[in-house]
Amino acid sequence: MPRFRFDDDDVAVIVGSGAGGGTLANELCQRGVNVVVLESGRHHAPDDFINDEWRSFKQLAWLDQRTTSGSWRIAKDFPNLPAWTCKTVGGTTVHWAGCCPRFMEHEFKASTYYDGIDANTLDWPISFADVEPYYDRAERKLGITGTNGIPQLPANNNYKVFANGAQRVGYKRFHTGRYAVNPEPRDGRPASIQDGFTFQGDKVGAKWSTLVAELPKAAATGKLDLRPEAHAIRIEHDEKGLATGVAYIDGDGLEQFQRGRLVAVAGNAIETPRLLLNSASSLFPDGLGNSSGQLGRNYMRHLTASVYGIFEQPVHMYRGETMAGHIEDEAPNRPDRGFVGGYYLQLLSLGVPFLAAFIDPGGWGPEFASAMESYENMAAMWLVGEDMPQADNRVTLNHDELDEYGQPVPNVHYDDHANDLAMREHAWSAGEALYQSVGAVRTVRTPPYPSTHNIGTARQSARAEDGVVNGFGQCHDIPNLFVSDASQFTTGAAANPTLTIVALAIRQAEYIVEQLKQQAIPTGHAVWDGRDPGGSVSETSTADTLVAGSP
Amino acid sequence: MTYQLSEQARGTAMLAARTMFPHEKLPDEAYAKVIDALEAEAAGSDTAASAVEQGIAQLDDPEPFAGLDADARLEAVKRIEGSELFELLQATSAVELYDNPLVWKAFGYEGPSTHLGGYLSRGFNDLDWLPDPPTALDPAAGSHHR
Repeated sequence: MPRFRFDDDDVAVIVGSGAGGGTLANELCQRGVNVVVLESGRHHAPDDFINDEWRSFKQLAWLDQRTTSGSWRIAKDFPNLPAWTCKTVGGTTVHWAGCCPRFMEHEFKASTYYDGIDANTLDWPISFADVEPYYDRAERKLGITGTNGIPQLPANNNYKVFANGAQRVGYKRFHTGRYAVNPEPRDGRPASIQDGFTFQGDKVGAKWSTLVAELPKAAATGKLDLRPEAHAIRIEHDEKGLATGVAYIDGDGLEQFQRGRLVAVAGNAIETPRLLLNSASSLFPDGLGNSSGQLGRNYMRHLTASVYGIFEQPVHMYRGETMAGHIEDEAPNRPDRGFVGGYYLQLLSLGVPFLAAFIDPGGWGPEFASAMESYENMAAMWLVGEDMPQADNRVTLNHDELDEYGQPVPNVHYDDHANDLAMREHAWSAGEALYQSVGAVRTVRTPPYPSTHNIGTARQSARAEDGVVNGFGQCHDIPNLFVSDASQFTTGAAANPTLTIVALAIRQAEYIVEQLKQQAIPTGHAVWDGRDPGGSVSETSTADTLVAGSP
Repeated sequence: MTYQLSEQARGTAMLAARTMFPHEKLPDEAYAKVIDALEAEAAGSDTAASAVEQGIAQLDDPEPFAGLDADARLEAVKRIEGSELFELLQATSAVELYDNPLVWKAFGYEGPSTHLGGYLSRGFNDLDWLPDPPTALDPAAGSHHR
């Protein structure tokens, strides 16, 4: 793997190696762009992953200090853990389960369709038709079951309960998932052995992640310089307001600076706005790309709730693929239900340790204990739906607390919207009815837990005054600065975000290369301060050598 | 730095954990793990140590917690709900009690599986009290993406 010089202003610098950053890196490398990826976490091989929930959590989760405020229950139950994301090479794709619904057409147009809702909604500057060809490519890339001739995963025990319930309550659209885990060997990776522990990294590599798919492919081009334990703290710019590179703290605790022709930020929707806010300067006093005032605002985390069903006979929900079961019937927008937007019901399984942590945070007593003792006879589902963007739900810098890198920690403020509460109530009832229809002796409603879906804090907008980036994720204020994760989502939709993050990253890579060929992305000018730039000189990727379109 | 509760205080704390998370099928060993972690917490912080001692003293007052019947123990725990000891016991038990292979086995959770080849040939689909449902989307149900 090359190590490009710190003063190399030919490289694209990407912050984050997850679904957005890792995919963008590979797509750019395949098209001839030299890329430096700065990843805050360590590089773990799949074999290092641990089949043990708490030990794995300590290995993979983003546990840097954060604070919370607002009326959401998370602020009480998990005040320093608003989100369950990862700090490791591969980002949160190491933890994700693989659920891949597409957004629906109306979900790109919340302002148009969610009539009369009192929220900070905005139509995306792009439509379903703009993204559709990239969904096709993302599904092929991830190997989504039920697409591209890839079979469905088989029914596991948890799914048998879920799907029989779906039939009995009259749902029509259910299956074992649009799911990014191989049912048969594909793309150099093996088939699922139904071992569970998908959330804990997947030791066999049947699940798509940037760790096992995108980053190795990018490395094979010779154009990727992947730097683990490189925690970005600031994006710098020149006097014209063009980005010049990224300052980061390396594994030895030393501050480094990597120059680049462009910077793409994909640190998840808490770290991305945090980095842009933390880069405030005399030219950009409110943070980079924040002339609209929308940076850090409209934080969304999805509905999230769960229902557990307890039966007279064994289920063994933990055996097999964790979330391989989806019901789509509640996903459409049907305002007659008392809320706008929709939700999916998806299979879920937790082991005993995490069930105890999440089934009723703060809970205790005989009822709690008897639910835990019913573990063997338990089935579970997760409820994921669209939450409303609200201007005051936001990520800000908390200057009262500094992290291990000496930077102000992010504070996450969230109040549930009335629409979110109505949808959650509906979803809980639907989940309970489903389990009751197949003989549940008891059902348990579980509140939201720290969110893996973090969305909306640097949103796309047609007009610069309404958001942070344009329809390609390019910053309205700084043309060589991009946002490449779910921070750029204008609204959250009901679907799990990864497929859309990947589709948009492919689209963004194509756009970047086209623009570079036309020399339409200006480069910032930084005078190198004389530090040893180290590394080796890269073979410059000129406009002539870049590969436009699909490589 | 180590910290050890007196024998009586440790016994009270263990019974309190069992009262909060009552599992007849679990041996004392499972609850001892909780109290070990509580002691480790107290070792790291003087305020935690004094909160633990005060809370236990409250549980043993006016009569020893161990001498109470099950209902009275539950009432005694409810009386200290919200106290620092209560919060510590709740949070510590929720993690430590259930993060234990002995407890997993008692509850029918099989733990690590990849090294055993997963459940592909070990019962991932052995549920037989419901019919096998379809795994693919019924084509007649159409698509909702348009």
